[in-house]
Amino acid sequence: MPIVETQNLSKIYGAGEVAVTALDHVSISVEAGEFVAIMGPSGCGKSTLLHLLGGLDSVSDGSVLIDGQNLAGMKDDDLTRLRRRKIGFIFQFFNLIPVLTAQENVALPITLDGVKPAEARARAAEWLTRLDMAERMHHRPDQLSGGQQQRVAIARALVADPDLILADEPTGNLDTRAGDEIAETLRQVSQQWGRAVVMVTHDPRIAAYADRIIFLKDGKVNDQTILAPRRNGDAATAAAPLQAPA
Amino acid sequence: MNMQLTLASRYLLGRKLRTALTVLAIAFGVLLIYGLNSIMPSFQQAFQANAMALASQVDASITNRAGAAFPAATLARVTAIDGVRTAIGTLERSLGLPADFFDHDPATPDRVAAVTLMGGEPAALRSMATYPLEEGRFLEAGDADAVVITRSLAEAAGVGLGDTLRLPTTGGLAALTVVGLLPQRLLPGNEEALVTLGEAQRLLDLPGQINVIEVNFDSAEKARRDQIEANIRAALGPGFTIGVLQAGAELLNSIEMGQQMMNLLGILGLLMGGFIILNTFRTVVAERRRDIGLLRAVGASRRTVTGLILVESLLLGALGSVIGLALGFGLARLVTSALAPMYGQFLNLQIPLPGFMPGLALAAVGAGVGVTVLASLLPARAASRVTPLEALRPAIGPASLRKLTGVGFWSGVLMLALAVAALLTRSATWLSLGSLLFVLGLLLVSPALVTPIAALFGRLAALLFARDGTAQLAEGNLERQPSRAALTASTTMIGLAILVMSAGMISSISITFQRMLRTSLGSDYLLVPPAVATWGLSVGANPALAEELRAVDGVQVVSTLRFAGSQVGDLPISVLGIDPPAYEQTSGLTFDQGDPAAAYAQINAGRSVIVNGLLASGAGLKLGGTVNLLTATGETPYTVVGIGGDYLNAKLPTAYISQANIAADFGRREDVFYQINLKQGADPAAAEAAFKRLLQPYPQFKLVAGQAYIDQNLALFDAMFAGLYAMLIFLAIPSLIAMVNTLAIGVIERRREIGMLRAVGATRRQVRRVIVVEALILAAIGVAFGLLAGLYLGYMAVVALSAYGFSMDYAFPGSAIVVAIAAGLLFGVIAALIPARQAAGLPIVSALRFE
Amino acid sequence: MSVRNAFLGLLAQKPRHGYELRAAFEAIAGGGVNWDVKPAQVYATLDRLAEAGLVVCTSDLGEGDEPGRRVYALTEAGLAALRQWFDEGVEPEHQRDEFYIKLMVALASGAGDPHRILRTQRGLIYQRLHGLTTQRNALDARVALAQVLLLDKAIMHLEADLRWLEFVEARLGDIQRQPLPAPQVRARGRPKKGS
Repeated sequence: MPIVETQNLSKIYGAGEVAVTALDHVSISVEAGEFVAIMGPSGCGKSTLLHLLGGLDSVSDGSVLIDGQNLAGMKDDDLTRLRRRKIGFIFQFFNLIPVLTAQENVALPITLDGVKPAEARARAAEWLTRLDMAERMHHRPDQLSGGQQQRVAIARALVADPDLILADEPTGNLDTRAGDEIAETLRQVSQQWGRAVVMVTHDPRIAAYADRIIFLKDGKVNDQTILAPRRNGDAATAAAPLQAPA
Repeated sequence: MNMQLTLASRYLLGRKLRTALTVLAIAFGVLLIYGLNSIMPSFQQAFQANAMALASQVDASITNRAGAAFPAATLARVTAIDGVRTAIGTLERSLGLPADFFDHDPATPDRVAAVTLMGGEPAALRSMATYPLEEGRFLEAGDADAVVITRSLAEAAGVGLGDTLRLPTTGGLAALTVVGLLPQRLLPGNEEALVTLGEAQRLLDLPGQINVIEVNFDSAEKARRDQIEANIRAALGPGFTIGVLQAGAELLNSIEMGQQMMNLLGILGLLMGGFIILNTFRTVVAERRRDIGLLRAVGASRRTVTGLILVESLLLGALGSVIGLALGFGLARLVTSALAPMYGQFLNLQIPLPGFMPGLALAAVGAGVGVTVLASLLPARAASRVTPLEALRPAIGPASLRKLTGVGFWSGVLMLALAVAALLTRSATWLSLGSLLFVLGLLLVSPALVTPIAALFGRLAALLFARDGTAQLAEGNLERQPSRAALTASTTMIGLAILVMSAGMISSISITFQRMLRTSLGSDYLLVPPAVATWGLSVGANPALAEELRAVDGVQVVSTLRFAGSQVGDLPISVLGIDPPAYEQTSGLTFDQGDPAAAYAQINAGRSVIVNGLLASGAGLKLGGTVNLLTATGETPYTVVGIGGDYLNAKLPTAYISQANIAADFGRREDVFYQINLKQGADPAAAEAAFKRLLQPYPQFKLVAGQAYIDQNLALFDAMFAGLYAMLIFLAIPSLIAMVNTLAIGVIERRREIGMLRAVGATRRQVRRVIVVEALILAAIGVAFGLLAGLYLGYMAVVALSAYGFSMDYAFPGSAIVVAIAAGLLFGVIAALIPARQAAGLPIVSALRFE
Repeated sequence: MSVRNAFLGLLAQKPRHGYELRAAFEAIAGGGVNWDVKPAQVYATLDRLAEAGLVVCTSDLGEGDEPGRRVYALTEAGLAALRQWFDEGVEPEHQRDEFYIKLMVALASGAGDPHRILRTQRGLIYQRLHGLTTQRNALDARVALAQVLLLDKAIMHLEADLRWLEFVEARLGDIQRQPLPAPQVRARGRPKKGS
């Protein structure tokens, strides 16, 4: 079963004459452990798609299923709980809380979920160590480089053991080298730790790290390219028929 | 919760200056509330100590409800009551002493400020209490001019066994021989001088009278005691009261009034604090939208986010309250120790330093924390509505004008209209409601008015800085975020409004009181007792003194005041006996209602009374109506023939009746205050010498020239107002400093824009100027609103005070307005200096990169 | 040309046997998979260089003409030729592109779907890019920087290709509306067969 799946997902902003269709009947699915990049020209709806996948914005039509649960019509509290446990977010501007240390930032999602502070800190430390940030655990965000901050953000996204990681232009604010490192780390997240990663990017070089690229254009899926065959022999996704080009 | 606490404390520590300012705002309110309220009990304690000392070992003290003396025969009626084991009658009177009475040095007040003269039958006294003599003997029946005092009083008076102790009485100085010395006094309160009952009746000019009956019951059981008390009440009727003697009720009343005004100031302070907190948290939420959005994205519920802001406010509130409490405790001690010598001198009271009061502390902290949390409630709710998407979207669109002129604006307009309408009602309740509505209304309409006002002042500023476009830029910045601008300006508004309001109020009070002062104390000479206005504590003189004064060569007229304590319902009041033809010549009342000439005539004709505004409003009296004054014989109806008052008694509810009536109904013939006018062309030096000679046996009176007394009072006024102004400025400063905060945030948010300005060629000077002009425009808006609000509130306060019985002329605070404008603009510039320096100092590249 | 100049440079380092030279070249050029040089080509090149007097054969073993045993060294003229190479720039070559021709032909003939061709090409390049980044990230730049740099060059060119493809895709409609480059009609000669 796919971790995340959309069926005829549409998003329309505004109403009447000024209505703008951001997404137009998009159907995609992402399997566990898969690393998917979403590409397309600006305004193609790729960020909107990501927001809808994360339950950050409301669906106009169609459905988003996370682990079989439909997000449309969910109450805010339930949505919040789902985000806490199933989804990790990584943003372009890192979005670390400036007054918390790296470790505290990482511990935040599980602390919010009621994990005891000591345990939350321990788990945060574990993830930071895995991401090679052990030495900078007690630094505040302003004492870290961009790449390091994004690593902390990745650790934060992973700490609650979510099935799905959503990354919005994770390298958009980094130089080439740091961007490569983050992309490589995301590949590790999917390959080594088995999370599904959905990443929005406009950088072909970063997109090439993914297993599969979905090209959006004018709110529709325009093309898909498989860069690496499915490792676990689950060929269903790889062989999935492409949607007809617009 | 733990996480919220961590986040809250980190955020607070991250902005130390802002945290400090916010804490200061709360601390100030709590300081006023706790500090001022803890002073009052000290005063009460001082009075009660007096009373308790008197009532030390007895089961009940019976006194006349009006505090008057009554025939000694009443004692027999009490002794006959079932359950009364023993009862004794005494005649007691607190004798206020001038500060230089014993040591003849006016500079250092005597340690003993008042002595209670206590007259009783020696055998009866000893049956009630034990008097362990250290030296000499106790009183004996038939003793004349003999007195038993404590060792401490003896030391203070510098006398020993066998020496003569002099005490002021209504008949002049009394000389008593010390026959016995008691040990040093342990209980707080006045020193006592024990004399025989006959001696006391002679000294106080009350033959055959007593004023206290002390009773011991035959049972200690509660039910039985209640029964006995009921028996006594039934036997004596409503003219008598059982219980602790209430000395100085009228003074307590006046202190209470001052305390209430101060409390108002404290509440105002807290409200200000609340407003600053609202402002702070609104900027906090705006500033942290992205952080909050992120918290929501990683799984914080709305409740958690609301909780985060509330925890932060709770921390601020608790910190501010505790600091305010500590400062308030210090303030109370400071004020008391500053006032104590003054009270010792003028009122003959020893005021203890206030101790820590847990109940009050709890209430003050509760108020502080409560206001803080309440003020942060709205911003906290706004924070909870931040969507996770805002973590991803940096820009927030400008508010549309339609949104600005929405429900809030129109309800604000409505509130303003209602507030103005409230002025017409002249009812205190509506007026106070109106003032609240006015401020709220101004706050609500201000965002919509920012754009036009900014445009106006922007044009003015453009004229000043015509050569570069900085003024236009600054104006544009304000119009882009009118809500934020309104918020910033409103902090100034509140501060200045308070300033202008108080100035209007104070100047109105000042001119009104000055007018009264000149009318009331217009005579050539005054004889002033140690305690002015709280007449009960002073010892006056027999009518003989007035006659002697009248006989002095060159004296045209002598007018006197006679005093009795009384009650209207439960309201303690002063009753003053005046002698209209003479009184009118030397001073006179300032009338609000009624014809002066007719009123004075009616007073002399029958049971008629002139009441002052405070009494009229306190007891709901109308011209031509009837008021029941509590007299020595019970409640007696008087007809109200005028509403008006004099300067000395303006602070207390006062009834003015004729001296004939005060003698008949209250048994008072004692003059407590004299005003003397000389004939045209009389020799002042000769007259003064004659007065001084006559006053030698009456050291309780001080001879003061009328003009000197007025000057002295005016100086006192000035000192009081200066203190009040200082306090108000203290109150206004945090709000003005809050502007620095808001401006600084504006700079931080616009870093990129400022970097761009610099990159396209703006000099540091120009960048600085944009910020300063922006602040100036903001300050101008704040000043405009502040003046408006302040003038309204000041006028409203004067109207409200009239409704409370202080009728006043409204004085337009012209100079205060100039000061407010200057202060507002000055603070605007000062507030802008730090952010402007910061903005100009930004390295271009990093400013551009800032996101 | 580049192989010839590379040989000069490698011989400037030290005199080498023919097979040694070939191995050294392949190592620098990113491995035999990347740039394969046949032994015959090596010796032909060396012979040409010797003829031009740029290298000399120093058969120190004197064991006849077995090519693998011969050791070559750089002459003064050879060194001068090498320096001249260093002093000149290398002409970049990007305008002869098979994909471009394929796309134009498809457009001109109408026999292929240009969108599909584009997508296929993009997919292919992404796959190559994926492979190259994987390969590059498997290397440790601290010891194999030379290889990493070569891979980076390829990656960057592929990135550029992808950007160019995006560009083409965005403007495909415009191209279709414009007349395609066609040969100029000569005044003399046979008339065209078609209209």
